[in-house]
Amino acid sequence: MELLGNLALGFAAATTVEMLTVCFVGVLLGTFVGVLPGIGPLAAVAMLLPVSFHLPAEAALILLAGVYYGAEYGGSTASILLNIPGTPSASVTALDGFPMAQKGRAGVALVLTAIASFVGGIVGVIVMALLSPALAGFALRFGPAEYFAVMVLGLVAATVVGGRGIVRGLAMVFLGLLLGTIGVDVNSGATRFTGGIPDLRDGISLVVVAMGLFGVSEVIASIRGNTRHKVSQPLNWRSLMPNRDDWSRVPGPALRGSAVGSFFGTLPGAGQTVASFVGYAVEKRISRNKDQFGHGAVEGVVVPESANNAAAQTAFIPTLTLGIPGSTTMALMLGALMIHGITPGPRLIADHPSLFWGLVASFVIGNLMLLVLNIPLVGLWARILRVPHAMLYPIVAVLICIGVYSLRLNLFDVWLTLGFGLLGYAMRLWRFEPAPLLIGFVLGPMIEEYFRRAMLLSRGDPLVFIERPGSATLLAIALILLVLAALQPKKLLLRLLKSA
Amino acid sequence: MTLRRTLLICSAAALAASAFPAVAQDWPERPVRILVSFPPGGSSDLVARLLAEHLGERLGQPFIVENRPGAGGTVAALALKDASPDGHSFMLSNLTPFSIAPTLFPDAGYDPITDFTHVSYIGGVHLALFAGAELGITTLDDLIAGAMAAPGELDYGTSGVGSWGHIVSARFGAITDTEMEHIPYQGSGPMQLDLRAGVIGLSFDAVPQNLPLVNEGVAIPLAVSSPERLETLPDVPTFLEAGLDLVAENWLGFSAPGGLDPAIAAKLDETLTDIMTLPEITAQFDNWGIVRVPMNGAAFAAFVADQYSAWAPMVEAAR
Repeated sequence: MELLGNLALGFAAATTVEMLTVCFVGVLLGTFVGVLPGIGPLAAVAMLLPVSFHLPAEAALILLAGVYYGAEYGGSTASILLNIPGTPSASVTALDGFPMAQKGRAGVALVLTAIASFVGGIVGVIVMALLSPALAGFALRFGPAEYFAVMVLGLVAATVVGGRGIVRGLAMVFLGLLLGTIGVDVNSGATRFTGGIPDLRDGISLVVVAMGLFGVSEVIASIRGNTRHKVSQPLNWRSLMPNRDDWSRVPGPALRGSAVGSFFGTLPGAGQTVASFVGYAVEKRISRNKDQFGHGAVEGVVVPESANNAAAQTAFIPTLTLGIPGSTTMALMLGALMIHGITPGPRLIADHPSLFWGLVASFVIGNLMLLVLNIPLVGLWARILRVPHAMLYPIVAVLICIGVYSLRLNLFDVWLTLGFGLLGYAMRLWRFEPAPLLIGFVLGPMIEEYFRRAMLLSRGDPLVFIERPGSATLLAIALILLVLAALQPKKLLLRLLKSA
Repeated sequence: MTLRRTLLICSAAALAASAFPAVAQDWPERPVRILVSFPPGGSSDLVARLLAEHLGERLGQPFIVENRPGAGGTVAALALKDASPDGHSFMLSNLTPFSIAPTLFPDAGYDPITDFTHVSYIGGVHLALFAGAELGITTLDDLIAGAMAAPGELDYGTSGVGSWGHIVSARFGAITDTEMEHIPYQGSGPMQLDLRAGVIGLSFDAVPQNLPLVNEGVAIPLAVSSPERLETLPDVPTFLEAGLDLVAENWLGFSAPGGLDPAIAAKLDETLTDIMTLPEITAQFDNWGIVRVPMNGAAFAAFVADQYSAWAPMVEAAR
């Protein structure tokens, strides 16, 4: 088998002392920056980039990649413990992770998260190992019309995220869409809705919105003592471990989440945040425990974490095989390769087999390391909840400010984050969910860009979305989902039965 | 003299002393920052990081890259303008904020020539008009003929509205009297993907990042925007050869706030020129397709002014 030979080559390359060391340093650092709210993998990878100049190309990539997917493991920790996501993609995890913590099950949620992340990571690696060449071709067949359709599908699916009724959900989605229009219009170059503020010309950063709505609003709520009060967490090993019922609710959701995540990871630009939202939405539709979602459902933690970790791995497919970075962090990793004279592209796997397969092998090793690293840490993290709020939340607020400032070294972003914090707090008072707003904000600009590009290419003929089988299928699924959500056939059926 | 006035004079004197530029011998006294108008990861950012390492080694103080992306590079340029000209703030200056943006955004808030000291030239890349393999066009003449025959039928991509590719494309349309549909992207990456997939037939884009596509046979370069043929694409004619007055270089350099001590400028220029002769640097620059012609600091300042006035009418025409 060619694959086995390749994997053997990869493991041989990735199991030297040097490679194991850089892999460990990478995932450890990644976990750490992931845990800290606001400080994400981008800052860490940027800081490590000069270090990577002095390493061989393989080691450089393994190090930076370790930070990247390690951060996805860590991102959920603060989501669960404090209702403050460490990374935007962990926002969804807070929906059920935080309620679990409030029921005294923080340890269980963290253990399940580590396991779900591991499953997602490994599935992502398997997809990458088996399908990289094929998937690269798949991304090429995804034109603007298909991108538009898949983003619409994601948006429709995501409106059911959050549990406070479809009207409130839609209102927040639309507010997110509107916020996404701020900045330079891609097609005309005109600035829109910036109020003449130059800092808004490039739009609002996702991290600013996520940290403001979720993080700062939580800090504000804590000042008023408005956080649903502290629950003492049992710290003995047994109560940290999930029970039998918990375990039985892991495999299906973890695999479904991994599948959704693997798919979205391969689309450049869609990324982990979209993956975790859509994974959650899909699971909420099909789960038998639908009613528990938002109140501490195990699935609600497992799905987004498996999805964003799978996406973190498969995001390397377009980056390495097409040379198209899906995010700034990925662009930095491409930069590390360019410094070493390696140009990512369809020939990368053939020209640099030990680099590609070594990276794949390091992903397996790194995910194992993360699993081993994260489970013993659970006890430590759970203790964080015992820190008095008066000390913990100011620290969190400072970390958020540092993290947001480090994005563009722009103080304006810090003020904007605080503004979103106030908005998030107001939304909390009036019982609006921030999650649908976030997904609207992420998908809105992409939907617009691809829609208008498809329309430009078709010279204004909207039939292009129906003529292409890929986009037609995806849009049909979106329409069915929407109709089902609006009609709620089960309720209709019940009503009919009752009247009969 | 009242106490108040004495105090005023004293504080004025203190202010003058603190504003007095550092003497070149002592320079640099503390870490030096290099503003980069791109997010981390692109080739220009890498140029800055690579040079920062070497500058730090030679000048005894760390040189730190600060990414200030945004608004066509004007965010970084404004930050540089507002920095003190004491030799501890520089910017990796380039075409967009200094030759394009001031015309594109009349409210940019700075004068690209008088508000800055342009210190040292690093090099530049050129762009080319690429045709996707599926389009079936292999020469510039065929393209012009095809575009004439079916106005508005062909699609071409650029890395964004107001990008140099867009401005060059508008100029190309004007001097060849052809009409093609502009499909703007956000950066070169997604555009390359669509050129490869045949979503767009043509692109105006920088040469280096497209060389892998050319080697694969996915993209066919029809003409380059350099004054002479490029070493990396020796078989591709220039626009000039085809009789089209079209030269465009995305240049890179080091610039400081206006009023930098000439001695510091000279020292930095010398050091950089020296670094640029290192084999590892020249190899890396060749690899990135950055072409360098010898140019001293004074010539570079004149070059920047020259470029600004050369691009202004093209930018106006593209608006």
